[in-house]
Amino acid sequence: MTTLPTPKSGAVGPEVTPLLAASPQGRRRRPSGEPPPLPRPIGRSIRWYLLLGGLTATLWAGMSIPASLGVITRADLVVLQAIATVRTAWLTHLMLDANALTSQWVVRLVAWTTIAVLAGFRRFRHLAVYLLVFLAAGLLVSAMMLDLGRMRPAGIEILGPWLGYSQPSRPVAMLALALVGALYTLVPAGRWRNRGKWAVAVILGMACVARLYLAVDHPTDIATALIIGWPLAVVVFWLAVPNEAFPVSYSGLRKAHLDVRGQRGEAIVSALDRQLGLTVTQVEPFGLEASAGSTPLRLRARAADGGEVTLFGKLYAVSHLRSDRWYKMARTVIYGRLEDEKPFSTVRRLVEYEDHLLRLMRDAGLPTPRPYGFVEITPEREYLIVMEFFEGAREMRGEPVDDQVIRDALRVVRRMWDIGLAHRDIKPSNVLVRDGKVLLIDVSFAAVRPTPWRQAVDLADMMLTLALLSTPERVYQRALEVFAAQDVAEAFAACRSITVPTQLRALVRADGRDLVGQFRRLAPSRRPVPVQLWNIRRVGVTAMLLASLAVAVAVFAGYMKVAGLL
Amino acid sequence: MTARAGRGRRGERPRLTAGLAALLLAAAAAVTGCAAFSDAAPGCRQPLRLAIVAQSLPSASYLPCLRSLPQGWSTSGFRAAPGGTSFLLNSDRSPGHPVRVRLIPSCRPGDASPSPPRAPGVVTYTRLTSITPRFAGSLYDVFPGGCVSYSFDFALGSQISLMEQFEQAVGLYPRQQLRLILKHKLGVELGP
Repeated sequence: MTTLPTPKSGAVGPEVTPLLAASPQGRRRRPSGEPPPLPRPIGRSIRWYLLLGGLTATLWAGMSIPASLGVITRADLVVLQAIATVRTAWLTHLMLDANALTSQWVVRLVAWTTIAVLAGFRRFRHLAVYLLVFLAAGLLVSAMMLDLGRMRPAGIEILGPWLGYSQPSRPVAMLALALVGALYTLVPAGRWRNRGKWAVAVILGMACVARLYLAVDHPTDIATALIIGWPLAVVVFWLAVPNEAFPVSYSGLRKAHLDVRGQRGEAIVSALDRQLGLTVTQVEPFGLEASAGSTPLRLRARAADGGEVTLFGKLYAVSHLRSDRWYKMARTVIYGRLEDEKPFSTVRRLVEYEDHLLRLMRDAGLPTPRPYGFVEITPEREYLIVMEFFEGAREMRGEPVDDQVIRDALRVVRRMWDIGLAHRDIKPSNVLVRDGKVLLIDVSFAAVRPTPWRQAVDLADMMLTLALLSTPERVYQRALEVFAAQDVAEAFAACRSITVPTQLRALVRADGRDLVGQFRRLAPSRRPVPVQLWNIRRVGVTAMLLASLAVAVAVFAGYMKVAGLL
Repeated sequence: MTARAGRGRRGERPRLTAGLAALLLAAAAAVTGCAAFSDAAPGCRQPLRLAIVAQSLPSASYLPCLRSLPQGWSTSGFRAAPGGTSFLLNSDRSPGHPVRVRLIPSCRPGDASPSPPRAPGVVTYTRLTSITPRFAGSLYDVFPGGCVSYSFDFALGSQISLMEQFEQAVGLYPRQQLRLILKHKLGVELGP
């Protein structure tokens, strides 16, 4: 009878390689109620904004009752009459000019400029949120104007132009939305955005003072419009494009990459210490140019011998999850039934899957990075997976490879075939060589029990990768040591341009040799495996996408009109 | 060298589709009729809403308002601004040819024929510009300080009932009465 070892009680050391030093404190469970390493921040300003939103709702409720509307209106008129005592001809002229800031043309100019810049910089998420905020706020303003039906200031001469009901002030709300939207989608957070806030405040202040002077709006009309146009808009931006996940940056940093400095950097170190028992001394971005699906990191951890060991980490966030969903939908349209993959439902699932694949491959004896587990940075929003860093390994490109390396690489594919796995992204940058041994990295797209087509494509991609540094004949001969000739024939019967990873395709094209053709001539003849297979799901998804596109285009103009941008 | 993350192409396509998805949401909101929020004209039983009409033409002694809309009628295009107010009355029996109601400082009935007055102190005129193939023309309610004009264009056959219906649908609210109500309910002075 086999018995399992009894777990030790209390804090135990890390389940990591003996090479690494356990954190002095060891792993520690986060007690209920204790915040996670990086709690989703609800800033003080956001709390104030939400409070202002509540006050607006209360004010509107009060205005729907004639008695309280009378009190509010009389109070408004007291303010307006006090302002009217300073009216002079030249000041009136000045205020009419200042009031022009709230004209539709100014709003459209700001809004369209923002839209153009967002589109130009391919910030489609910010653009979508900006448009939605405009539409939603515009509809809210229109709805409340109709619902409340408030008159313009009474008993006082109105000196400026106006249109329709007064509560809330539509021109002020739309100007605030245009400016605040531009600020939160175009200007990087920090010093420049803070300066921008002052600039926006000054512009809005001038416009509001002018409208009060001209008695076009009541003070409460302007107050509620400002709350809709500024705080509520900011809350929407905070929810939909939080700066920590979707930072506005012009520094060349990919939009998929998170900033690991400051609070997040500290949270990563703390999480690795408490959750994995790792003492990490340095966290830095690494290989960002090759990644858009996560934020790759190089971690320096304390080694058991007192020195330091390098680890590799991938930080996954909600934005990466969404990218993964859309990516898979696009692949379903392009590849159809052969790519029978489903999107992940949460970030946790995504990182759990990669951790599982790393362990599975490691257990199967494949030369993949050793997994150290993953840590929770922000629950359901950000997770960091940690694995071995292959020190001293080089990508399989540039330098010729010998028979031993070719044999080793093909055995890796053979092993994956035998245990029912497919890597699904074999290319020179994912196949490394160290001391004559092949190492395989980036298993995040791997599949367990993949389609036979996918496994065949893996073989073709590996053989092409090797042939770039050798000859097809040599690679073919080594392949016959671990694969049947029919297997190779199947691999190149499945091989199409779209099945080859972009990097490998580019290198094959640059190589100039007809590598695929040569492999096909070497292998037994076989009819091509069809790639473009249509099924109900693919037809449905494609039809849905096309219909969505058509509807979006058809109603775009209508939307712009509703949002007040036309 | 080390394990690397994903492929470069992952991040590109999703952003476009995310934008399209968001536009779809916007489209859904737009096509559900939300655009008509600010279109409805004030009713004669809503004096607090009617005040904006009074403010659009401070001289007008009467203000156009909606009594009750007969079945098949709707209003749209309400617009109140300095100089006057206008809105449209639409009938499903005369699609595409709404009745345009305008409160303006003055009218020129010209050769229009007098009709029975619709309110005390109001002179009503009717002028037909076409009897066949369509029944079209204008109705004017002229009163001190302003005028309400109604431009209509109906298909033959149902014009008599449509004329009756829209005349019944639009009422004239005395400014003096509105002034008293505003004073009583809100404690504010409407103005002249």
